[in-house]
Amino acid sequence: MASSAPFQFAGDSESEDDHFNPAPAEASDDEDGAQRATGSSDRRARSPDADDDQNEDDEDEERPSKSASKRARHADEEEDNEDEEEDEEEGVTKNGYDEDEEEEEEEEEEDDDDDVQHRHRRKRRKDHRAAFFDIEAEVEDEDEAEDEEKEGEEIEDFIDNAHPDDIAESGHLDDDRRHRELDRRREIEASMDAEKQAEILRARYGKRAPARGYGEMTVVPKRLLLPSVDDPSIWAVRCKEGKERDVIFSIMRRIEERAGGKDALSITSAFERGGTNSVMKGYIYVEARRQNDIMLALDGVLDVYPRTKMVLVELKDMPDLLRVVKTPNLEPGAWVRLKKPAKHAGDLAQVLDVTENGLEARVRYIPRLDYGVRDEILTGDGKRKRPGMPGPRPPQRLFSEVEARKRQPRQIQGNPQTNTWVYNGDDFENGFLVKDIKIQQLDVKDVNPTLEEVTKFASGSEDGTENLDLKALAASLKDSNTNVAYVPGDVIEVYEGEQRGVVGKVANVQGDIVTLRVTEGDLAGQTIEVPNKGLRKLFKTGDHVKVIGGSRFRDEVGMIVKIVDDRITLLTDQTNTEVTVFSKDLREASDIGGQGSIGQYSLLDLVQLDPTTVACIVKVDRESMVVLDQNGDTRQVMPSQIANKLPKRRTAVAADRNGSEIRLDDVVREYGGQQRQGKIIHIHRSFIFLHSNATTENAGVFVTRAGNVSTIAAKGGRATNPNSGPDLSAMNPALKRNPAQSQAMQPPKTFGRDRALGQTVSIRRGGYKALMGIVKDTSETHARVELHGKNKIVSIAKADLIFKDRVTGKTIDIYSRSGRGGFGGGASRGGFGSGDRPGGSRTPMGAGGGERTPAWGAPKSVARTPAWGRGEASGSRTPAWGDGSRTVNPYDGNRTSYGDGNRTAYGGATSYGGGSRTPAWSSGAKTPAHDGFGHGSKTPAYGAGNNDPWGSKTPAYGVSAPTPGASGADSWGYTPGASGGAYDAPTPGAGLGAPTPAALNAPTPGAYSAPTPAAVGAPTPGAWQGGWGADTAPTPAVGAPTPAASGGYYSAPTPAAYGGAPETPAASGEIRYADDD
Amino acid sequence: MFFLHNLERRVTLHPSYFGRNMHELVTTKLVKDVEGTCAGDYYIIAIMDTFDVSEGRILPGSGLAEFTVGYRAVVWRPFKGEVIDAITQTVNPHGFFAQAGPLRLFVSSHLMPDEIQYDASATPAQFTNNADIVIEQGTHVRVKIIGLRTEVGEMWAIGSINGDFLGYVLMLDYTLRIIVMLTVLILQLPPGIMSRKQTMVC
Repeated sequence: MASSAPFQFAGDSESEDDHFNPAPAEASDDEDGAQRATGSSDRRARSPDADDDQNEDDEDEERPSKSASKRARHADEEEDNEDEEEDEEEGVTKNGYDEDEEEEEEEEEEDDDDDVQHRHRRKRRKDHRAAFFDIEAEVEDEDEAEDEEKEGEEIEDFIDNAHPDDIAESGHLDDDRRHRELDRRREIEASMDAEKQAEILRARYGKRAPARGYGEMTVVPKRLLLPSVDDPSIWAVRCKEGKERDVIFSIMRRIEERAGGKDALSITSAFERGGTNSVMKGYIYVEARRQNDIMLALDGVLDVYPRTKMVLVELKDMPDLLRVVKTPNLEPGAWVRLKKPAKHAGDLAQVLDVTENGLEARVRYIPRLDYGVRDEILTGDGKRKRPGMPGPRPPQRLFSEVEARKRQPRQIQGNPQTNTWVYNGDDFENGFLVKDIKIQQLDVKDVNPTLEEVTKFASGSEDGTENLDLKALAASLKDSNTNVAYVPGDVIEVYEGEQRGVVGKVANVQGDIVTLRVTEGDLAGQTIEVPNKGLRKLFKTGDHVKVIGGSRFRDEVGMIVKIVDDRITLLTDQTNTEVTVFSKDLREASDIGGQGSIGQYSLLDLVQLDPTTVACIVKVDRESMVVLDQNGDTRQVMPSQIANKLPKRRTAVAADRNGSEIRLDDVVREYGGQQRQGKIIHIHRSFIFLHSNATTENAGVFVTRAGNVSTIAAKGGRATNPNSGPDLSAMNPALKRNPAQSQAMQPPKTFGRDRALGQTVSIRRGGYKALMGIVKDTSETHARVELHGKNKIVSIAKADLIFKDRVTGKTIDIYSRSGRGGFGGGASRGGFGSGDRPGGSRTPMGAGGGERTPAWGAPKSVARTPAWGRGEASGSRTPAWGDGSRTVNPYDGNRTSYGDGNRTAYGGATSYGGGSRTPAWSSGAKTPAHDGFGHGSKTPAYGAGNNDPWGSKTPAYGVSAPTPGASGADSWGYTPGASGGAYDAPTPGAGLGAPTPAALNAPTPGAYSAPTPAAVGAPTPGAWQGGWGADTAPTPAVGAPTPAASGGYYSAPTPAAYGGAPETPAASGEIRYADDD
Repeated sequence: MFFLHNLERRVTLHPSYFGRNMHELVTTKLVKDVEGTCAGDYYIIAIMDTFDVSEGRILPGSGLAEFTVGYRAVVWRPFKGEVIDAITQTVNPHGFFAQAGPLRLFVSSHLMPDEIQYDASATPAQFTNNADIVIEQGTHVRVKIIGLRTEVGEMWAIGSINGDFLGYVLMLDYTLRIIVMLTVLILQLPPGIMSRKQTMVC
């Protein structure tokens, strides 16, 4: 403005030379309604009119609010810096008023008008001054605008002091003086150096805000600009569709041609609102006072048909004609579809840039090139190909320089560095075709780019990283609200339109109209209806949501961690990864559920891939899944590739590296390796699948071998130490009374000379493994062995010795009774000895007399049924009994217990039977063992006896597996039987070589604990009782009138025991119960 | 938040336990079964006492006896918006997992103050603002729960440390440790030590 004003004055001064008149400053002030919108040149022409002076005040009163024009005038006339600022202040206030006005009622307008008028008067004063400057401008150069300003300030002082009425005269008086002053000033300034001048200028203008436009000044209440009946009418005139703009241009030309002539067009304006998608296409709109004017104006103009029916636009519809429909805003990065190059019709393109005029956009898309292949074919035919001939269009492929060079090397040029090429006149960048295309030829609405299409663009980036511009994608998708479905109950927010910011719950949806019950803000409680368009779903951080439709994350469920506009980041439940989706693709999720299943297969299921491979599903996509197989490899499989799903077997049991049993849901840690820790989710043969929260890889699942983990925590606090069974005493008061029982039983002393002395032995383990020697000396646990091979005496644990027959070299059992015979104590010892072994299994101590029930010899009068002692010792007390005279080899059968540490298996002592065969071994117990394994349930016995290849191990197997007790999920009541020794108990059945029914009939109730021994000779029910049998009085065993019962340790070897009377069952309980009672 | 809550549960008892102290056994079993479990949207922390142990009913078919037991338990129910202290368990680029008693929490990197950034180069990986705040495995953090999810037998929350007084908690324990260390240092250097050394050198 500062610069334009002087220019204006220069112009003025030229044109108004003749009319110079300092006084009538008001001249420029006036205008009448018809001319108010005219430009400054008009005004200049009119300004000298004398009438205006007279009318001015009146007119001002009458038309106080025609402020727009006044503002325009001010813009032209005011050169003074301060004035300008003042003006702007006014503009601001005015704006304020305007806004108020719009909201206020009609009557208040009067006040406003007064205000406006008041302001107007003030302006008029300035106008005097302005007129005055016109004069000055006359004598000045354009270059010296600044001087004028400076003077303006002074003048302002002057004017402020002056009464408006005096202005005319005073202006006259001062005229000469001012001229002189001006001359002086110019001289001074001319003498100043440029630098100083610049400084002054800076001081003067430096503080100005750069962008001071006319904008603010032209604001006028819209209502006041609306057409009235006094205004010309608008007619809609038919024209040829698509030619609207041409018609308007011809009218424009015609106006120019005839302007000023006598056939000047008397229409006020003409415009069109054509466009392919416009509803107003096929019409132009002409504003004129009379219809006839239009006829005349359009007469002879091409493509317009004024003679057809002309539609008069109603007054109230007029504003709508000019309503600007927001054209879809193309921003770089947005997605569009091509319409025009026929070959590419429908292809997705990305906007790179939009030209200034908004008519064209530079887009890139994937070309469909055939590199001239088809041309060649056609030329081969000798026919001329018609361009645009329909044919199969080539597939979309990124531009390949190689291909292009192969066929048409001359057509291509470019720069391999930047990967930009020109081929056949088209630009290619990074393989994409880049082209300026008219926006009309682009589909910008309902683009709905699919993810596949978009990824093609994304993956084309140089570093190969995906750099999807989600925002642009959002913009493209937003246009298509068609697939947004709101269901009652959704919480939504209005983000566009009058109700912006309103939040509510959907109450009803009818077509595009959503009825909304407002939940927040002033409108709370009200029900409003809003069009579906400006709505979006509203979520809060922490909401649990599910992705529906639209996105490739469909069906993911997660919790929201971040919300930016309508982009929502959520953390998925399944994999703990973050995904970002649009709020329209989300729905509040019920707390359950989530993705994670295709058909019958769901996340973390165990599936069989082929007969030798099982795998755990670690990721479920829409059509495929990722599995982690038993070898730790992941692979992607289709549901059809899965043989079947392995049901989760709650009963599965494995042994960890310490021999503790581990089951589903136990927490274990890898031994060695990465020491990963996890919860067991599947046990399959020797493999266990673990789930850990520490990692998100493979959904936290990893696989390892059962033997490679150690227990951290067993589910439900199950004891993990193999030596400590469940704490029965806490449960069972009966046990409390016999605390001794729970203490480790000391091995019975053998009296006299240790029979090991002088024996030939071979060493089982350690550095001297397999060497033979003679025992020279013994202690309780160790023996000093003189080696045959070396002249050396070494100390070896007794447990590591194998006693050999000096002559035959056969393994013998030196503790066996063979030599002594009939030592009653031995038998009983055996029974209890085995019974108390921890770690179970050490079964088979046969009793010399086979007929004896195993338990019989129970110490301390607690005659237990075989299984019974399970509490501490687990081991059970197997009946062991070899039948007849055969004995178990104690050192085979029992060595385990040695290995276990605490106690030697004195049970061995019992195997007087003499035969060296161990029943366990011979018994064919192997078979059941096998079965047991087949079922995957190894018993602890196994682990415990891990240094014993035979004997104990096997039978334990066989029997244990099928006991229901083992499967008991309840950590109480039943489980005790399951854990630890109970299993071992049942071994003996083996002894006979004939699996007794008992052994097999696991599932009998008694089986709870121990499907035991009874097996053989004495199928006494008592034996069945298993763990609890001892307590539960009513077992037949108890009832059984067996004398066997016994009590004392060595005492009372019941006849049954020795006599071989088969019917002497377990007895035991009896005594205790007697106590009870 | 902790509550004292009256609850009821059916406890079954194996026949082998039938006897004079059955009620005691029922209570023991109840405690074992229930304590430390997650019951929907709260955790049962401890059972205070039981009352109203009903008469046992033998369940047909199994022989187990069922008792209905009323009990009073201390339960902990985390709420949205509740601020709790937790210990960082694992740190990954998206955020960190923390454990508040039985409850697992995830704090996304979006829900941290802007200046706290993931630092993968540190060992162990950590979130840090390159000044006083370092969140790594084992760090005590104060977290505001912003989302809760309950599953069968499990709860799981999303937390935020974006707010005043949230995030890194300087433990008193930590301060104490420093003091102790300093004291130890000082004690290790008795006044005479320098002179003694000198003598030795001489």
